[in-house]
Amino acid sequence: MPGEIHHIRQGRDGSYPIDGSPRRLAAILAADISGYSRLMSIDEEGTHARVKRHRRELIEPTIIEHHGRLVKSTGDGFLAMFDSPVEAVRCAIVIQQSMVGRNAALAREQWIQYRIGVNLGDVIVEPDDIYGDGVNIAARLEGIANPGDLYISGGVYEQVKHKLVCGYQSLGDRQVKNITDPVRVYRVLPDPAAVVKARPMPGLAFAVIMSVSLIASAAAATATWYFFVWQPKHLAAERLPAQTPVATKNPVTAATPQPAPAVNPAPQPSLTIAPPQAAVTPPVQPPASQAISEPEMVTLPAGTFAMGSNDDPTEKPIHQVKIKPFAIGKFPITVREWNQCVAAKECTNKVTGKDDAPVTNVSWNDTKQFTEWLSRVTQKQYRLPSEAEWEYAARGGTQTKYWWGDQPAVGMANCKGCNEPYDATQPMTVGSVKPNPFGLYDMGGGVAQWVADCWHKTYQSAPIDGSAWLDGECSARVIRSGSWKNDMNYVRSANRDNYDANVRYPTHGFRVARSP
Amino acid sequence: MNITRIALLLVIVLILPAPVHAQGKAAHKDAYLYFVWPQDGTVIKGAFWARFGLRNMGVTHAGDDFDNAGHHHLLIDVNAPLDPSEPIPQDKSHLHFGAGQTEARIELPPGKHTLQLVLGDAKHYPFKPPVVSKKITVTVK
Repeated sequence: MPGEIHHIRQGRDGSYPIDGSPRRLAAILAADISGYSRLMSIDEEGTHARVKRHRRELIEPTIIEHHGRLVKSTGDGFLAMFDSPVEAVRCAIVIQQSMVGRNAALAREQWIQYRIGVNLGDVIVEPDDIYGDGVNIAARLEGIANPGDLYISGGVYEQVKHKLVCGYQSLGDRQVKNITDPVRVYRVLPDPAAVVKARPMPGLAFAVIMSVSLIASAAAATATWYFFVWQPKHLAAERLPAQTPVATKNPVTAATPQPAPAVNPAPQPSLTIAPPQAAVTPPVQPPASQAISEPEMVTLPAGTFAMGSNDDPTEKPIHQVKIKPFAIGKFPITVREWNQCVAAKECTNKVTGKDDAPVTNVSWNDTKQFTEWLSRVTQKQYRLPSEAEWEYAARGGTQTKYWWGDQPAVGMANCKGCNEPYDATQPMTVGSVKPNPFGLYDMGGGVAQWVADCWHKTYQSAPIDGSAWLDGECSARVIRSGSWKNDMNYVRSANRDNYDANVRYPTHGFRVARSP
Repeated sequence: MNITRIALLLVIVLILPAPVHAQGKAAHKDAYLYFVWPQDGTVIKGAFWARFGLRNMGVTHAGDDFDNAGHHHLLIDVNAPLDPSEPIPQDKSHLHFGAGQTEARIELPPGKHTLQLVLGDAKHYPFKPPVVSKKITVTVK
């Protein structure tokens, strides 16, 4: 990809550090902090100070120890090069394991976790930077890695497999952005304990790690298990969405496995332990779709806000509510996202509609099937937002009737009288109108959205800690947002209504939430 | 695959002679929807229980697609005519009783209000012809 190579001379006299060719073979290590903007939004100064300290105390010394060179560091990551792939992988393992220790004493939301990719490639070396496919692939590997994980390319694997005793989980061939040929990807499991944890039968796992040759059936079991249980989690690599006013209608599809080139048999994910020549993995039949498209989430900081209004008796009294940090769907759940749950036979409600349309005609009980399924396949605790969380998210830091002010405005929401032309027969696809100050779409209008709370006709004695209000009569649950069929009054951030939890209605949908 | 196809064909064949659903199931010819209480002209103090009466048809859950059965909707101060080709709206003046309720606690601000019942089918569409009660007027003190 010549387009990716920047032939920009760096000041000075344009000389290269090495006589002759500026090209050389090197092991490239690319790393970044997962959820950096979330960390910065929680505690900007503290995060910055901690990142700087890690760099000074851990990253720079470790790179030097392994005879590498820190090429450059960015706000949330760094790029290093090594002469030896073994040293590069060792360095990455030391950094990842040290970070586990440093995070251990902290609350989960404060963890700083690196994602690291290592690739071996021919690169162009300039005094202040390095360029070329080899660098780009390292960066892409890092991009698909999970927080705290180390992914290496097939080239690196070939070099280190006999020299570093750790587990290597093959993730098959991956197509990476702007790189023509698929890249074989391995996940490094440096800690045998991690392998044990990752297996259903610890005894067998240990035997597998210890044994020089793998019994074929054990390998198959391992592969199958990884495939079904671990894979979805890995594939659903979370991204903190940028708060950009540009609508992304397609939710992030993280690392969808690519079809293998025709000449090669489809690569099978397998766990191989060094020495790997023993790891002959029998083919495992992959399930039809193992990668799920996870809803795009926006993490909101903690805060206090005035919930309710005096515009309707149900919205009184206005009360202060304290919200903990949480993540909420950038869009309502779409038909495409819902249908994955139907395909998995976990959601019984077969819906209709365009892929990018918000799912409709779902009952509160139906949403439970979805959040339970999504939590299981992603290993994250997805749920409905509480009513307080929903209103906090909808207000986007404002106290006005609508997130954009006190006056109705055209083109800000999808409702009756909100936009021209108006289609009464169906909701607009998600993200068709402007996002609120939190970068959330369709918080008001679009589809009415279920929240977790049982219905109470006023806020008298409502919880003030942001939790869902679950006592009392729960046959009716709260719906928020109003729908495309309601008028502007229902788009108000404080508007609330209720509906029977087990009844479907064609304008009712939902969005999901979870702890950050 | 073949079984699925046959099943699909069977479904199509079974459905075709009947009017394609979507908009409203046929109502019983003698269906009669009414308020047990309050009655037209009743003067009420504070919140009240409205009780719904239905003859010659049955009340069931929304979503249950039985013949001659539907669920109640209470329209409060609604002046717009009922659109028989659309689901009964869901908002603060169109209350739904999809769990099969036949009464409801209603709280209205003081003044004159109109109340009307509409029976909805499994998918919240009015029946054909619509099964509606007389629109009554009550006064809340």
